[in-house]
Amino acid sequence: MFELSGILPRLAFPEGRMYWRPIIPIPLAALLSTVLLVILPRTVGQEATTQGMVVVRGAMIYPISGPPIAHGILVVANGKIVAVGEEGKVSMPAGATILDAHGKVLMPGIVDSHSHIGIAPNPLVADSDDDNEMTGPIEPGLRAMDAIDPGDPNIRMATAGGVTTANILPGSGNVMGGQSAYVKLRGKTVEQMVIPGSIGGMKMANGTNPKNYGTRKQAPMTRMEEAALARAIYEKAQQYKEKWDVYNKAVAAGDKTAKAPDRDHDIEPVVEILEGKRIVHNHTHRADDIMTVLRLSDEFHYRVVVHHGSEACQVADELAKRHVPVSYTMVDSPGGKLETINIDIHCPAILEKAGVKVAFNTDDPITPSRLLLRQAALGVRGGMSEEAALKGLTIYPAEMLDLGNRVGTLEIGKDADFIILSGPPFSVYTHVLETWIEGQKVFDRSNPQDLHYSTGGFSVASRYPSLQAGGN
Amino acid sequence: MRTLRYLGLLLWVAYFAPALYAQKIAVLADHVYTMGSEAQGRPGMVLMSSGKIESVAFGAELQAPVGYQVLRGAYATPGLIDVDTTAGISGAYNIPQDQDQDEATDPNTADVRSLDSFNPNEILLKYVNRYGVTTIQSAPGPRNPIAGRAGIFKTVGPDSAPATADQLAIRSESAMIFNLGDVPKSTYKADHKPPMTRMKTAEIIRHALWEAKAYQEKWEKWKKDGAETSKQPSRDPRLEALLPVVNGALPAIFTVHRADDIVTAIRIGSEFHLKYMLASVTEGYLVREAIRQAGVPCLVGPIMQRPESPETANATYEIAALLQQAGIPIALMTGYEGYVPKNRILLFEAGIAAANGLGLEKALRAVTMDAAQILGIQDRAGSLAAGKDADVALFDGDPFEYTSHVLGVIVSGQVSYLRK
Repeated sequence: MFELSGILPRLAFPEGRMYWRPIIPIPLAALLSTVLLVILPRTVGQEATTQGMVVVRGAMIYPISGPPIAHGILVVANGKIVAVGEEGKVSMPAGATILDAHGKVLMPGIVDSHSHIGIAPNPLVADSDDDNEMTGPIEPGLRAMDAIDPGDPNIRMATAGGVTTANILPGSGNVMGGQSAYVKLRGKTVEQMVIPGSIGGMKMANGTNPKNYGTRKQAPMTRMEEAALARAIYEKAQQYKEKWDVYNKAVAAGDKTAKAPDRDHDIEPVVEILEGKRIVHNHTHRADDIMTVLRLSDEFHYRVVVHHGSEACQVADELAKRHVPVSYTMVDSPGGKLETINIDIHCPAILEKAGVKVAFNTDDPITPSRLLLRQAALGVRGGMSEEAALKGLTIYPAEMLDLGNRVGTLEIGKDADFIILSGPPFSVYTHVLETWIEGQKVFDRSNPQDLHYSTGGFSVASRYPSLQAGGN
Repeated sequence: MRTLRYLGLLLWVAYFAPALYAQKIAVLADHVYTMGSEAQGRPGMVLMSSGKIESVAFGAELQAPVGYQVLRGAYATPGLIDVDTTAGISGAYNIPQDQDQDEATDPNTADVRSLDSFNPNEILLKYVNRYGVTTIQSAPGPRNPIAGRAGIFKTVGPDSAPATADQLAIRSESAMIFNLGDVPKSTYKADHKPPMTRMKTAEIIRHALWEAKAYQEKWEKWKKDGAETSKQPSRDPRLEALLPVVNGALPAIFTVHRADDIVTAIRIGSEFHLKYMLASVTEGYLVREAIRQAGVPCLVGPIMQRPESPETANATYEIAALLQQAGIPIALMTGYEGYVPKNRILLFEAGIAAANGLGLEKALRAVTMDAAQILGIQDRAGSLAAGKDADVALFDGDPFEYTSHVLGVIVSGQVSYLRK
């Protein structure tokens, strides 16, 4: 019934190509292709990007790592940034594809530190919704990557909003909901999406949502039990780690009789949290719930990011002194549930002033990835500095995913993830024109098919074959 | 005793002083959008007293007369009008105690009125007022095929004097709400009660409208036959509520998303010769010629509704522009939200429409003058002109820019919100 969701996105990766056989003799094809390459310079450029160099010139560049550059140049090779600077001061490599971006704005690809694209896909119906395994409140063994649909139109809609990197998380129905995946928004398999070397984070939640179990007379029914369940799993992980530490120490000392403890694959991701390798992404709204998050992280010494943080500004000093950052979800009005009744566009500004690093997230599908820039713009409306708001879309969320050395700024050696905007980043009239991931263009507003992921109507063609979006 | 009397006086002043103060207000702005026929966006001054607009003058160096409270800003517009929302009857907390928008106990609840659920102290009402909204058509929610009657109300803001729903009502019964599509057919499914299909939803509506016609004929016949008390037909509140609908006196609003549901609404509207409009109209751009030919106004939105359900998957930010360009009268609405955000903000919705093809002036019209005309309240609201209600929104920049602020809101000549 809902095949409409799949058809268009999957056209982007035509499987038929595998069965292509040359019907033109190879030498003729070589000649023909050369002619075509010459008469179709735009195509040449796009082909060249696969391995060659790309230069974007003339744009107002926000490198984030430094002040804006009025007439900037960005040079990309092999998916990495090789130069960035003022026009005239950066050498333009010969043979590079040159994109003119005068009058436009260029900034790093946006990092969404909290998203459910691919795991809560479009259309969001029970058959396809995989973000909450509501059969047990502690599920550290679950991995988001085992449920992410790379063909989900939401992923293309996110690139239409300039998102290039995302933390795709399980939902907030469980106290410990599973491992998140740090991905780039490209590829036809999740393996191609996951950032090499990253292990993802761990989703945790407290407050209202996990209490849903209480309606079935199952634990947790109260916030007390939520904390108790979290404490229990960390204690279990501590014990597990101690046993292995003892064993490894004995082996290292040459003890051949040492018996290896039983492996527990579900607890090992929690051990990674205790070892500082895996960051906890904790859904939490009310100030007292945020304090519970801090209490647990103090007790078990783990790194945590406060997600949503609707009342975070009430405990801004507590967050600041622990250097705990906040990934804030900006919504248009308060409420919808009790714990978000104090959500406020002024909160990120208060956090900024207290010295807390704030990222803006979509919590897609709660807010649309296409409008993640808008989230930060509302932060500015609420009193935040433009600088902090831009960092809140780029380097701060990158740091919250331990990816600050790879994405989030336009610096030499970092991934060539960038977006081209039609105007100032925080204007409602600005559109994302192009989105690039590692030197490859993944969204182009001038392409009518791509446009439908930006404005809407991407599934029209599959549901109404006789109609085209916008036509009648 | 005397102390008590002083206390009474003090309370009386505290309670009524805001209403007495600022009876005369002057709004000066660099860009005044009256939404009338004159050139828009010029510097000017709007003078208000006793709840009405006295005059609008244009010029850069205007001085407010003595005795007026002066508010200055960059942009002044008429107070915004949300043509279809559950604000006022669907509360922010989203708990059973504050959810009064859906009487989901029977698919036909034509006899209920939003007026009787309207809570003037609801925080979302005050919240939307802070974003310039001064008038709303507060409508029953999306769950019943025949959901009941909407009313048109002024909003209250954080600085407003307390008021009752009846005081705020411009029109206590302004439209009958009909809902088609996925939501009504899923409302009673668990109870194995109709409607379970779109066919049944349409049938429930048509059946009720036919019954209303028959009911009217029965009463007319009884009157013609001498109006004997003993032979008086029994009264039916639901059919009575539907009488003005079948007579064309009360507009019908069909909430519709999918193109085929839009066409079904047009089919029912023309079958019964209703005075009707379409709301949400998510896929309207796919059948805009049919809408234009039917001559139906569209209440469009919310523009930022989630394209996550099968019937809203084709939502586009360009919907308002596409319909407007096709010659269809449009106004913008925020509708109903079941979770987070609990209420869309009309100003933000209009901003997205403005940025996606509609442009500033037409988007402003869709939430002021055109909205007032579609609701039939243009004699009171929707433009800045002498004699109209003193409903004004004042901004420090382009009203639709993300980073602009609402500086002040005036409802019926009273300051309802001032930015601190």
